[in-house]
Amino acid sequence: MAFSSPVPAAERLPVTVLTGYLGAGKTTLLNRILTHEHGLKVAVIVNEFGEVGIDNQLVVDADEEIFEMNNGCICCTVRGDLIRIIGNLMKRRDRFDHLVIETTGLADPAPVIQTFFVDEDLRDELRLDAVVTLVDLKHVEQHWEAEEVQEQLAFADVLVLNKADLVSDADRAAIERRVRAINPVARLITSENADVPMQELLGVEAFELERALSLDPGFLVDEHAHEHDDAVGSVALVEKRPMDLEKLGCWLSDLVAERGPDLFRIKGIIQLQAEARRYLFQSVHMLLDGDFDRAWKPGERRRTELVIIGRDLDADALRAGFLACVA
Amino acid sequence: MPCAPASWPVSPELSVAPLAPLVSERLCGDLQQPISALTWSANGEFLAIASAGGELLLLDFLAGCEELLRGDRDSSLDVVGFSSDGQLLMAAGQDGELLLWELGDTGVRPLAMDPIPLGGGWIDAAAWQPGGLLLAVAAGRELRLWDGAARQWREPSLPLPGTIQALAWSADGVQLAASCHGELVLWQPCLSTPVDPPLRNPIASAGLTLAFSGPGHHLACGMLDRSLLVWPQGCHGQPWQFSGFPAKVRQLAWSEQPGRLAPLLASAAAEAVILWTQVKQGPKAWQPEPLLWHEKRVNALAFAPGSTLLASASSDGSVALWDGKGRMLQPLEGQGCGFNALAWRPDGRHLAAGDANGRWWLWPVAVPAREQQSQRAGAGFRAQL
Repeated sequence: MAFSSPVPAAERLPVTVLTGYLGAGKTTLLNRILTHEHGLKVAVIVNEFGEVGIDNQLVVDADEEIFEMNNGCICCTVRGDLIRIIGNLMKRRDRFDHLVIETTGLADPAPVIQTFFVDEDLRDELRLDAVVTLVDLKHVEQHWEAEEVQEQLAFADVLVLNKADLVSDADRAAIERRVRAINPVARLITSENADVPMQELLGVEAFELERALSLDPGFLVDEHAHEHDDAVGSVALVEKRPMDLEKLGCWLSDLVAERGPDLFRIKGIIQLQAEARRYLFQSVHMLLDGDFDRAWKPGERRRTELVIIGRDLDADALRAGFLACVA
Repeated sequence: MPCAPASWPVSPELSVAPLAPLVSERLCGDLQQPISALTWSANGEFLAIASAGGELLLLDFLAGCEELLRGDRDSSLDVVGFSSDGQLLMAAGQDGELLLWELGDTGVRPLAMDPIPLGGGWIDAAAWQPGGLLLAVAAGRELRLWDGAARQWREPSLPLPGTIQALAWSADGVQLAASCHGELVLWQPCLSTPVDPPLRNPIASAGLTLAFSGPGHHLACGMLDRSLLVWPQGCHGQPWQFSGFPAKVRQLAWSEQPGRLAPLLASAAAEAVILWTQVKQGPKAWQPEPLLWHEKRVNALAFAPGSTLLASASSDGSVALWDGKGRMLQPLEGQGCGFNALAWRPDGRHLAAGDANGRWWLWPVAVPAREQQSQRAGAGFRAQL
């Protein structure tokens, strides 16, 4: 299933999804977003009513109601409450410029993300700007085994390592390495008291293909699979020889059909045989999106870079499948 | 675009000559925010209009005046309704409060009652019982009943497993249907002796919209999973399931005119309106007639009272009038922005609509004779003006 909308991105309302385990600082960050003079009128959908201490008419309460669209598969779950409430909110679109959705600390971010691509109304009226995950540097190690923590790290486009003032530099660096092993492509921001520059949070356009991989152009130093004990991890695949689009498409489609529930995010820049342009690709569980991008620049290092973030990844099998797609 | 001068339609127009356009003149007016809902009182004297900014405007056609019951307050109203006796007006929305007004005679300022907080979040489904004084309100996962005669809540309320997406009363006011993700419940809250517990039907997806046919009591449920369920007369047995819609089925309307087996049913999914006719019993009983004209999402459907004349309102900025065979009779253009809501005056001769710029429209409509109901006892309800 493709997840792009026929409506141009500029005409759709940007949405930021804010996740993070209990106590990571989501409420503090929300209050900053609501009070900051960023010139944007922000509507916020919160889940623990009353926590946001700002008297703002555009704070809307929601319960996290999961709709299973198809046999209970995680890839087909959406947030029913968001469909209903955002449908109502969109009638008053002129009253706000940006929507922020806070999830509870124990939420899997996937249904929220999928809602914006699966629901026909939301897909055409909104665009997912970025998934921002707050990490509590002081306490994250205690919850590291929690499935929700690993999912929230895995789905993030922006990772805010919060409470940096409460840990030593050595501890912070250790956590950073662990976080990077799960998610090598998210932008990392370190903060104290959730004090983050707004331009790093709002208007990130991480789900627009052309921006999806521009956050950190050198994110792949080399081909690697991170060694770690966690069930959730990442595999980076790099290949200098051009790829065959048809083979690659078949491989990725089969891969997400088979392993979709375990594959959180895939992002890639593809170098194709006999093609001057780059091909960009990303996925969320079973939702796939790919399109041609700009031409490779003269002198640019032409190669295919693909990062797969998921659970129980078999790096060797993935590499073999990937290499079979060389043209 | 200037509006026509306000000459309020106190009495039904004289019938126009054949071949004349159905709609010749119009009235309009403006609220500050997009119109989210509008509804007529049963006698056709009052039209209430709600906006996404929380405005509530009451037009009094007998007195020829209008009263803004609530101003723009940055919090949406999404549902509005008159009790069947015309004594109470209800509105609810984003604040999660039930708002009620006591209505006096025409020309008398309505009296606001204290708002009733429900604590269930945004309210977008509520409906008065036809012929009675019960008000059904979807308060989160609770289906609650407010008794307009006793002026209090009736216990117990009915819990559903998910947030209530839609509710509807049968035309006789006996059956109340409500739907959420995974369940459609049928309740008869007014029977003095509780015979049956509420009937809970599992459904595969979320029921987004519900509609009972008139005396036949078919029940139709438009689903998020791009399908439509129709229960046969009396809501007993297995429903017919129609699938293959291009999008979620968000709007439904039944004609009040009885058909051979069932009245006409209209459904809207994305820009496609489909007219359904039951042609036989058993499976594959319904014949679809696609009404393809709108270019964007259809947001409202309504049959003229007692008629097979159908109006459809779309985000493409038009309202279309169709006959019972699915032929387009006349398109009505607005001011270029999408239409959100539609409501026929109970006399069947005036159509009200609300658009995304906050403008309300009122068109006099001469329903063609062939779409009108043949005279027969007990057929439909007509306003006595």
